[in-house]
Amino acid sequence: MNAQALLQVLASGLLMGLIYALIAVGLSLIFGLMDVVNFAHGEFLMVAMYVTFGLAAFGHLDPIYSLPLVAAVMFILGASAYAGVVRYAMRAKANIGMVQIFATFGLATLTQGAAQYFFTPDYRNIQSSILGGKTLDLAGVFLPWPQLFGALVSVTAFGGLYLLMTRTDFGRALEATREDKGAVALVGIDSNRVFALGWGLGAALVGVAGAVLASFYYIHPQVGGSFAMIAYVTVALGGFGSVFGALAAGIIVGLVEAVTATLLPPALKAIGVYTLYLAVVFLRPQGLFGRL
Amino acid sequence: MNRRQALLSIGGTVLLSSTLKSALAQGPEVVIGAIYPMSGPNAQVGVDARHAFDIALDVINNVTNLDLPTAKNAGLAGLANAKVRVVYADHQADPQKGRSEAERLITQEKVCAIVGCFHSSVSATVSATCERYGVPFVCADSSSPSLHRRNLKFFFRTAAHDEMFSEAMFNFLDALKAKGQKIGSVGLFYEDTIFGSDSANVQRKLAQERGYKVASDIKYRNNSPSLSAEVQQIKSANPDVLMPSSYTTDSILLIKTLAELGYKPHNIIAQAAGFVEKPTLDAVGDRLTGMISRASFSVDLGDKRASARAVNEKFKTAAGRDLNDQTSRQFTALLVLADAIDRARSTEPQKIRDALAATDIPGERTIMPWSRVKFGADGQNSFASPVLIQYVKGRFVTVYPFEVAGAQPIWPMSA
Repeated sequence: MNAQALLQVLASGLLMGLIYALIAVGLSLIFGLMDVVNFAHGEFLMVAMYVTFGLAAFGHLDPIYSLPLVAAVMFILGASAYAGVVRYAMRAKANIGMVQIFATFGLATLTQGAAQYFFTPDYRNIQSSILGGKTLDLAGVFLPWPQLFGALVSVTAFGGLYLLMTRTDFGRALEATREDKGAVALVGIDSNRVFALGWGLGAALVGVAGAVLASFYYIHPQVGGSFAMIAYVTVALGGFGSVFGALAAGIIVGLVEAVTATLLPPALKAIGVYTLYLAVVFLRPQGLFGRL
Repeated sequence: MNRRQALLSIGGTVLLSSTLKSALAQGPEVVIGAIYPMSGPNAQVGVDARHAFDIALDVINNVTNLDLPTAKNAGLAGLANAKVRVVYADHQADPQKGRSEAERLITQEKVCAIVGCFHSSVSATVSATCERYGVPFVCADSSSPSLHRRNLKFFFRTAAHDEMFSEAMFNFLDALKAKGQKIGSVGLFYEDTIFGSDSANVQRKLAQERGYKVASDIKYRNNSPSLSAEVQQIKSANPDVLMPSSYTTDSILLIKTLAELGYKPHNIIAQAAGFVEKPTLDAVGDRLTGMISRASFSVDLGDKRASARAVNEKFKTAAGRDLNDQTSRQFTALLVLADAIDRARSTEPQKIRDALAATDIPGERTIMPWSRVKFGADGQNSFASPVLIQYVKGRFVTVYPFEVAGAQPIWPMSA
């Protein structure tokens, strides 16, 4: 393998890694906020992809422009998922962890089934978009524009999230609720509202990821599955609840996956990622940036 | 007994006798199991299979003038015009789910035979289960060569397997070479279940035997989120012919990634599957112009087999797409099975098995380009001659064998 091919592998890995990070951050945010692992995270991604597809097919809106709209739709969906399902699951008196797992898992199964019923299991694809099929050729290293755009959106989203978390009252309320749910109630913060907004924000972020992904990936009711697996690994690697851990871990996962696929037979490319994950679980169970 | 009770009992008797009468008039109902991916990443295959079986049931259960087995009369003539019903089960591409569903269909639904299962990995477990229960398994559309080499007595495969398909591919390459084309290397790219691995094993062996260099030999994980690193390897190897064995999702991603990384394969000869599916052609068809695929069926066969055109029309009305490699094989498998049950004059699995073993249907009485349907001792129909089709101007044309070809192959694909 020559240097150019190696650069290509690293560049592809980095771009994919930034997108993995964007997919995972919503999951990490929700977990950090309220210790709930959202097993419907992949399905949120799938719904966002279908929304993007719908807007492109019927509204003739390019994924670039529909991105904020998709995020808004997903925000509402995320907040409703909290208000309609998770809120009740959290009231369980016994085995609360299990109840939450089953509730979000049930939500995932329901969403998948509904998608298959309403959208059929056929594979969808956004036929033409502004960036679709265009590639930037940097001295023989090819960077597809949709992925470049995705990486850019990812970095921007993390930047925005950083500002939101540190500079706004909402961000501080999120942080405070994460620290001590009981204490925030004393200072007049409605934790229920913060949770709903947190779910909305988490879903909006995966919505952004879905819109980005839809411009270059195929869409079908089970599409969330393979990305969700990577999202869970990313979150565990970065540290559950650590937003910026997700960014670092996403990039690491993308790079490790690309390098493993080059060194080992590609069928074994998941090995690198999962070995790394196991090593982190054994040696640093809180994850790279976790604060458990 | 008051009036209401009397009325009820009379009504009940009438109802009972009428069902009895119709049951007697029709003979027993014949229940066949079909195990397909109805959910999961390949669920569309199941949806299409359902359409194919519905059309086959229409042919079997009603009077039609098509020259196909069991078509001329309503129901199965050999079984007092019994109607055939198909019970579906979902395997989600999981061999273990397939095994347990086969068990359920046999023990609970009392099916007399099973057809399936698209994924070779699932057909392997389902056929083993059928063998254990002594119920015939008609493999419609799984092409791994290892499937019929397990000494199963209840396994029957109507269509060709990947050894026959791959042999046709290499015969074609040899023929092109004889015509002066320079073909030195092939690139294998295959998914990591039994379908991809078996296909590649045969292709690797044939390439070595016939003196083609295997420039790249890439086994990849199916349904991967990204194929960039894999495609980079193809690009570095730059084979004269890329030979992919992939299901739909990976086919779409492969072709997209090839374009994204700025690589245009010189030629593609695909092991069908994902590459002949409508979603793939819809998504990336413009980049597949000139692709060659092995096939059991091609729409332009309608010119040679009258019933193929009629069946395709019916299918198109129902499913919104043409019959393809998969659906044509599913249709044919159910018809072959129904024909065997018709001749067995029984729904006893053992008798159906014996009738299947004695099957001999001339090619003209199928919708396929085969010379006939006749099973060897291993249950394989060795008369299922494969063809190669090329995707040109948005449709497939038969290009090999040259005797049955509808057009000259375009080589290299970009020419």
